[in-house]
Amino acid sequence: MIENKKVHKFGMVIDLDKCTGCGACMVSCMSENNVPFKEDESNKKDSITWMRVYKLTNGKSFPETEIVYLPRPCQHCGGIGDHGHSPCVSVCPATATDYGYDTGIVSQIYTRCFGCRYCMGACPYHARYFNWWDPKWPEGMEKYLSPNVSPRMRGVVEKCSFCYHRYQLAREQAIVEDREIEEMEYQTACTTACPAGAIVFGDLNNPAHKVHQIVKPDPHPDPMNHKVVGKSRNPKVFRLLERLGTNPKVYYMSEREWVRKAGDNYLKGEWENVKTHHGASSSHG
Amino acid sequence: MKIDRRSFLGLGLGAAAGIALSPVGVKLTDDSSIWTQNWPWTPVPEDGEITYDRSVCSLCPGACGISVRKINGRPVKIEGLDDHPINNGGACLHGIAGLQYLYDPARIKTPLKKNGNKFEKISWDEAISLVAGKLGEIRESGTPESLGLISGADNGSMAQLFRRFMDAFGSPNTYTMPSLESNLALTAAALHSADRSLGFDIDHSDFILSFGAAIIEGWGSPVACIQANASRHERKAKLVQVDYRLSNTANAADKIIAVKPGTEADLALGLCAVLLAKTKIAKDSLSGDVNKLAFSAMLEKEYTSDKVEAITGVKAADVEALAMAFIKAKAPVAVPGKGRGDVGQSLREFAAVQALNALAGRLNKEGGVFVMWPAGYLKFPENVMDDTAEQGAGKAKLAGSVTELVDKLEKDGGLSALFIYNANPCYALNNTEKVKAAMDKVGFKVSFSSFMDETALKSDVILPASIFLERLEDVVSGAGLAKTVVGLCRPMVKPVFDTKHPGDTLILLAQAMGDSIAEGFSWDSYEACLEEVTGDIWDTLSDDGYVVIDDKPPVGTPVTDFTFLSSAPKIDVPMGEGDFTLVPVDKMRLAGGSMISSPFAVKTVSDTVLSGKYSVVEINPATAGALKDGDVAVLKTAMGTVKVKIGLNEGIMAGVIGMPRGLGHTFNNPYVAGKGVNVNDLIGPVIEPGSGLDAAFGIKATLSKA
Amino acid sequence: MSELENKANDDPGGGAHHGINNGPEDDKGLGLGVIFFMGAFLVCFLSGWLLFPKLLYSKKEQPFNFDHSLHVEEIGDCETCHFLREDGTFSGIPGLESCMECHTDEPMGETDDEAVFAEEYVAQGKEVPWLIYAKQPDCVYFSHAAHIVAGGMDCKTCHGHIGETSSSRPYEENRITGYSRDIWGKNIWGIKKNSWDRMKMDDCADCHLEEMGHKGYCFQCHK
Repeated sequence: MIENKKVHKFGMVIDLDKCTGCGACMVSCMSENNVPFKEDESNKKDSITWMRVYKLTNGKSFPETEIVYLPRPCQHCGGIGDHGHSPCVSVCPATATDYGYDTGIVSQIYTRCFGCRYCMGACPYHARYFNWWDPKWPEGMEKYLSPNVSPRMRGVVEKCSFCYHRYQLAREQAIVEDREIEEMEYQTACTTACPAGAIVFGDLNNPAHKVHQIVKPDPHPDPMNHKVVGKSRNPKVFRLLERLGTNPKVYYMSEREWVRKAGDNYLKGEWENVKTHHGASSSHG
Repeated sequence: MKIDRRSFLGLGLGAAAGIALSPVGVKLTDDSSIWTQNWPWTPVPEDGEITYDRSVCSLCPGACGISVRKINGRPVKIEGLDDHPINNGGACLHGIAGLQYLYDPARIKTPLKKNGNKFEKISWDEAISLVAGKLGEIRESGTPESLGLISGADNGSMAQLFRRFMDAFGSPNTYTMPSLESNLALTAAALHSADRSLGFDIDHSDFILSFGAAIIEGWGSPVACIQANASRHERKAKLVQVDYRLSNTANAADKIIAVKPGTEADLALGLCAVLLAKTKIAKDSLSGDVNKLAFSAMLEKEYTSDKVEAITGVKAADVEALAMAFIKAKAPVAVPGKGRGDVGQSLREFAAVQALNALAGRLNKEGGVFVMWPAGYLKFPENVMDDTAEQGAGKAKLAGSVTELVDKLEKDGGLSALFIYNANPCYALNNTEKVKAAMDKVGFKVSFSSFMDETALKSDVILPASIFLERLEDVVSGAGLAKTVVGLCRPMVKPVFDTKHPGDTLILLAQAMGDSIAEGFSWDSYEACLEEVTGDIWDTLSDDGYVVIDDKPPVGTPVTDFTFLSSAPKIDVPMGEGDFTLVPVDKMRLAGGSMISSPFAVKTVSDTVLSGKYSVVEINPATAGALKDGDVAVLKTAMGTVKVKIGLNEGIMAGVIGMPRGLGHTFNNPYVAGKGVNVNDLIGPVIEPGSGLDAAFGIKATLSKA
Repeated sequence: MSELENKANDDPGGGAHHGINNGPEDDKGLGLGVIFFMGAFLVCFLSGWLLFPKLLYSKKEQPFNFDHSLHVEEIGDCETCHFLREDGTFSGIPGLESCMECHTDEPMGETDDEAVFAEEYVAQGKEVPWLIYAKQPDCVYFSHAAHIVAGGMDCKTCHGHIGETSSSRPYEENRITGYSRDIWGKNIWGIKKNSWDRMKMDDCADCHLEEMGHKGYCFQCHK
């Protein structure tokens, strides 16, 4: 029974101070997930990259300038109160995307999607992409495609799946060996590729997992904003647009205050209140 | 009986009722809804058994171990190999995209022969006998030295096999493309002794002073460097970057020392002067070194902190503070080679940085710089050389470096035939027009390229090489890594096209030439050759996939000879006219040198680097004048004029224009070529006396609104 | 409909040219209408049941006949040929290599099929292009391990008694969807008597609901 099984909540934390912006995560994702490419990809509005590395800067002049690269996969939102009503899932008229209550992963089923793009409008993170054209591979290149992820077609939306097929494969192995999945058995393609080791992936519900230990998610709703659940109790860790209550499962980490501040748009003086407020101390839980 | 409309009504209703009570409606509704979800033209990848195979990536000198995931033997994904001594599971985007090179639209599918302006397909037999015939004529005419070779990496069995061919043929005219590896070898030869390489133990250093080295953007062995940088926080190691723009490395650094482009050597010498003036340790370490007095006299006279400030723009106090911070660190190391350290470098700069390491007593120390012995695992049987070969080999080389060779060829010619292996000089060297003109002066050019790149397009015969995923080869680490690891690249898939291992091609060619050359190449295949020449380590190499030859600091402190530095004239790089200094910028996501980016890599390139057909240049808003972000502008240098897009960027020194390297390819692959401009087209080579290196780090430029 | 009504209203009033003349034959017309109705009904009803399935599916023969019962008799179980690999993935239809653990290019039996197999496939090292009755579309992910090992299910639950057949029935492909007929089932209405009669998404969901208490999430069975 699904209910009886331990419920996972897969998530990641990305160390922005370690990320070098090298792009290995993007390419690893593309080759793992059969993401196509076009002749001109310099218009980033129609360029499909499930994992996209954004560049932020502090706006100061050389040599005081600082940049930070921010890798952005699908945030796998748990929705308000973390009840599974992700912004995209809630608006899909075709049930082409749903929330896996046993994994916390937001799915996307291409054969079911009819391309209305409501989900793209609903996603605050621009994590969803529309196939304006049929994918085309140069002659012969389709031979490297992986059977574990269905190639898409024009007219459907696609996005990061936290490499769900890797979970499926790891689970099959665990089943035949009659045991639970180990932390390192299910890792996303971006995590394994990162040469800087900036991405940590695992089960946020499992205290033995590194991601849990870094994030220390607060299981209780934020007393200041009940929409927010799972706020990090690590002062260096934040989520993007956290106050919307989308409750993403992708956390970011930085020593630098300006970077943490860049995770949301703050009104004047607002940040001063927010920056000292973190998830409740563990005594609450 | 008359058929009226009621009959028709009956007919219609009957048919409708009949169909309604049959399964047609339900089934058709269901099937047609499935049909709308069907896209028969979308590929359905074949499923099967998943296996993993180990190999080594040889796209760049990084020599990373890779794991290739296969489905029923069909490769579908490349990842970094866990526990590999170089990359320990990590991978870079170029290696991960490796499978795209297998089916690249620009791959050369069969041997080709130039006929007028077009290539025509020929068989391997024809190709080999054609080349063997031409080479035979050259030998018969008694000028074997007029066969040249331009190759990429200068290590491993393939490099030696090519040299062996040249020796047996009778030509000393072998040249390698400028690389970090070759620049470090030159530095070691100038300061320590010939036939050594330098390895930087960044992993164990606690104070890394990088003179513009793009440590996390492709310098050296890229993944190893990225990992060494990533572990800095835990090791509490500092990184200080000397640079004129906010490269990713500079951004990751704890401190940036802003210098004027091209004055890095002066800063390094200034630091040396401070060390000599202010510390005792440094003077002691000079004992036993050569020409130390002349060197210290020169430093004392010409590199006072005030003078260095005037040259470099770094405040005298900062120069002194930096030198002291460097010497006070437990395990400091200075790293030369701005950008990727290949094109546009001067030996003076490399040597100055290495002198700093020597003065600080960092040679052969953990966390310092290793003066390393060659890998020495290859044992070739003695070559067979006939009289012609002996005669030709005794002749002087046409030039000291590939840049000088280009210069010489363009002016007076001098080669009747040229082999090009693992190199794309018509793209990767500065002033590509001149390189192409030089190529035109060579009668017969034979390319061993896998891709129809700029240089392959210029050749007369192409003997296409299988790529790294299709071939066996020893891949030895180098490129600044402080350890020597030999990895075995193994065929992951049968050659996709009618290509051959270049080693096999060379053996076939030697055997077709007959006589002494054939004798020196009596192997049945390259595989047999590799097994023989790696005899001592072959078993471990083929079982484990790699052999660690050495990963400890070499014993003893090598002698440093400062003669080159004390006498090296400061080259006055003629830069032409202009308000700006144009400098190339190496980007991790764009391949450099002879390696071409994959479609995936190009896809990841930001629109602040490539926008449609335009290269985007970095320029500080303070010096942009009327130019706005996104404007199309005309960029003019003494070498050429191009249109670019303006990318206002706070992270570059005022007065400097940064232009991405790795764009502007012109061959037939719509996914990677025809995008932006090749920055090498805009920069003229400046040959450094004494090293033959092209020292043009940039050029003066003007920028005006289009 | 409104047009028909208008016409019908027209009739009694100004039925001009044919309405009056045909008046006495009205009953006959109705009778004829019934006959036409019955005729059309029968034709359409029967062709919907009998002809439509034949038109909807194209039949393809397997490369040669495969006798499951004979192999089960010789080997004893399903798992020798259709096994779970060590990594938990399912091997599916055995490849030539598996067959050649017993077979050589010398036919083992007397039948023509044996000869075809030996000569055309084993001797030439060519994989047999079997048509897979249970083939699901590419968007479906199915874990045999989860069902057989974790769920303890029997092969028969989904595949029926294929192990007892001595001849390979033709593979029927839906001309519209391209799917195997086994997905929808033999019964053209989609009515199932046995658990293996139909393998559509609803069938998966029904079983999941019954066994697991939940229909599951998209990614459980899709990729």
